[in-house]
Amino acid sequence: MALYDYSWLILLSPLFAFAAIVFGTRIWDLSSRPHEEAAAAHEDAHAVEEQHGGDSETHAEHNGDIELIETTGPHGEKIILEDLEDPKVPQLTTGAKVSGYLGILIMALACLYSWIILLASTGVLPIAPPLPPGGIHLSAISYTWLQQPGPTANYLIGFRLNNLAIAMMVVVTSVSLLVQFYSQGYMEDSAGYARFYAYLSLFAFSMLMIVFAENFLVIFIGWELVGLSSYLLIGFWINKKAKPAEDRLSPASASIEAFIVNRVGDVGFIIGIMILFVNTGTFNFADLAGPASNPLSVAHNFANNQSLLTIAMILVFCGAIGKSAQVPLQVWLPPAMEGPTPVSALIHAATMVAAGVYMVAVTFPLFASAGPAAFGVVAWIGGITALFAATIAVAQMDFKRVLAFSTISQLGYMFVGLGVAGQVYGPGPGMFHLFTHAFFKALLFLGAGSVLHALHHAMHREVQDVRLMGGLAKYMPITAITWLIAVLAISGFPFFAGFFSKDTIISLAFDQGNYGLWAITLLTAGITAFYMLRAYILAFGGKGGSFGGLWGGTYRGTGEPHESPTTITLPLILLAIASILAGYWTGFFSYIQPGAPNLNIVEVLTNPLTWLGVVVSLIGLGWAYFLYTRFEFAAINDFVQRNALLRVMHRILLRKYYVDDLYNLFIRYVVLGISHIEQAFDTYVVDGLVNGAARLVVTVGRDVRHIETGRVQTYMVGIFGGVVVLIVFVFVLVNFVK
Amino acid sequence: MGLTLNHFLVLGALLFCIGLYGALAKRNAIAVLMGIEIMLNAVNITLVGFSFYNHVKPYSTYLTGQIFAIFIITVAAAEAAVALAMIIAIYRRRSTVDVGEIDMMKW
Repeated sequence: MALYDYSWLILLSPLFAFAAIVFGTRIWDLSSRPHEEAAAAHEDAHAVEEQHGGDSETHAEHNGDIELIETTGPHGEKIILEDLEDPKVPQLTTGAKVSGYLGILIMALACLYSWIILLASTGVLPIAPPLPPGGIHLSAISYTWLQQPGPTANYLIGFRLNNLAIAMMVVVTSVSLLVQFYSQGYMEDSAGYARFYAYLSLFAFSMLMIVFAENFLVIFIGWELVGLSSYLLIGFWINKKAKPAEDRLSPASASIEAFIVNRVGDVGFIIGIMILFVNTGTFNFADLAGPASNPLSVAHNFANNQSLLTIAMILVFCGAIGKSAQVPLQVWLPPAMEGPTPVSALIHAATMVAAGVYMVAVTFPLFASAGPAAFGVVAWIGGITALFAATIAVAQMDFKRVLAFSTISQLGYMFVGLGVAGQVYGPGPGMFHLFTHAFFKALLFLGAGSVLHALHHAMHREVQDVRLMGGLAKYMPITAITWLIAVLAISGFPFFAGFFSKDTIISLAFDQGNYGLWAITLLTAGITAFYMLRAYILAFGGKGGSFGGLWGGTYRGTGEPHESPTTITLPLILLAIASILAGYWTGFFSYIQPGAPNLNIVEVLTNPLTWLGVVVSLIGLGWAYFLYTRFEFAAINDFVQRNALLRVMHRILLRKYYVDDLYNLFIRYVVLGISHIEQAFDTYVVDGLVNGAARLVVTVGRDVRHIETGRVQTYMVGIFGGVVVLIVFVFVLVNFVK
Repeated sequence: MGLTLNHFLVLGALLFCIGLYGALAKRNAIAVLMGIEIMLNAVNITLVGFSFYNHVKPYSTYLTGQIFAIFIITVAAAEAAVALAMIIAIYRRRSTVDVGEIDMMKW
């Protein structure tokens, strides 16, 4: 069991990497940076000093006016950059490179260790027995944070390892490793390279803390740390300005939006945790989910009050709504695309948004002991989100934003999977989709990053609009083929990873008799296939390409794009292999929940419902293929704009059902209105009381001081007059008051 | 008949009122000072009167009033010296001894 007992090393190693970079190599990087040019040094200082707030605010003031500045490229050629870009460095210092290598090395060791643990616990590697069903407590790093008298209410910083955690841990470490490896190429000329690796390590640590958490206390700490890391990374390019023409926020604003929207969900989360804690006296998942004989379990404490438990679990799910960007808190995820693309890959595949799904999976038994409304809310929020985000993705022009909405949509699938699974399957189906989705979504994002990287070098500015892409498959074949694999995987094309995981969820919805959700998920599958192939053809294919327009076509941008370097393509290839193979882990369900029926591929392939799903996605794929390989993008757009109904629909979808605008109006008029009223109350009532008291004292003093004449005789009159008054008073008192 | 305690008290009260009137009503600082002296002596008469007519307490204690009166005479002499010195100092600076005009310590 020693193999498992030391798994806390995986948790702490990214934290060690973070500390080593922040306190070691990054200081080396800063001190070894050349300082010949004062201007360049100033720019560097901007990037390196972590002035997140003030600077970006002043920059955002005068956005829109594009200043072109000349600079020297990495190969000595003169290139023109927009001032909108993040600061560039001509060459990385040794200190910066060592920071990157350190982060990658540590993450590689953690990843290797977690794969060994995975293989051992599934029985593939016979070096250790599988874990007991409840997992093991990692006593090496667990301790009592706060001890209260009495048997209950001890606040434990506790960590544990079970099969669910292992599956998640493998995803987190693998995707983190590939993203860090990839960032070597992607971030090579960006200032703040060492800082970037420090944040990536912190992000991995935060997520692993959620993965290893034994109770709500630790999961909440990890939860907030993930929010912090995502804030730091989304706003990494702090000097970049907003681009109103492309409806894009500045990274600084986007990071604040992500942080604040998450807080909204966290309010529900912490209230839910507190309801559970007040009624049971424990944060511990295992105790809460225990049998009714355990005095700490929810089954014992909520036996007569199941509706309160249902409310608590729905509130806990609010945290997942915020973190996993479900309706109605989905607004933060598309602007989060302003971060560097590897960060988007990390957020969307393994760390940030997966935390919500993982949290619901961990607390699955609690949801199961609550009323059916709890799982109903989970499933229906997921289903609505899936359809909602998928339809929006159809109309988006921004390459990364399509992927953002596809992530929201796929997360919706995961919640449907968790919501409809029932006691027999447990959290297996939802987690299985999370597991497969992590690989192909990371691949989609890293591939998109590869395209953006190439176009950046071709056009010398940041291009994310698909209208400036097209036919890229000829220029970058590795990116194109791996992206196509990911598209097929996410579309549920047979024998790719997404096929098995998504089909399981759709057929579960049918088997549980939830035909409404079944119809929604099935429809969404078709839309998903449509918009993913649309994005692929718009970027990589087009009219006139080979294979009927799938491979190459007219390139609508300028310059000459090239395939990205090996540091970028190698992770793509590895992820493409994982995107195909991840679905063949047929023992996943019983691995997560002992006794759950396993995925039977023969049964899946002989089930007519499966083929119905396949037909729906093929219709989506075929429609996209028919539309975008036969016609130019501009022609399709013209057609949509001429038809009144289509034009209105397109506009609504492009504006994301006006949800963002609605929230803006709500904030501007309701929230700010209340704020103004409160401010007026503060100014006129609270301040008025304080100032009024002061003014009263001043006025009275000014008037009363005239008594002070300065004449001795006046004072004497006062003294003796007072004596007379006193004498009369005493006389009256003595003689008349008996 | 003869003298009783009340005669002393009435005389003391009358003198006190005359002195108080002088101290409050006179504009001249020396007259004010004189009023204060009269008030002090009115108190002395009262003290001595009480002392003389006290036959309740033992001999040593009913001299207390007379000793008090001697102390007051001593202090009044010192006070008169200090007050006259102050009046001269004020007169040198402001060429007046009208207490109505000596009002620098006001608001």
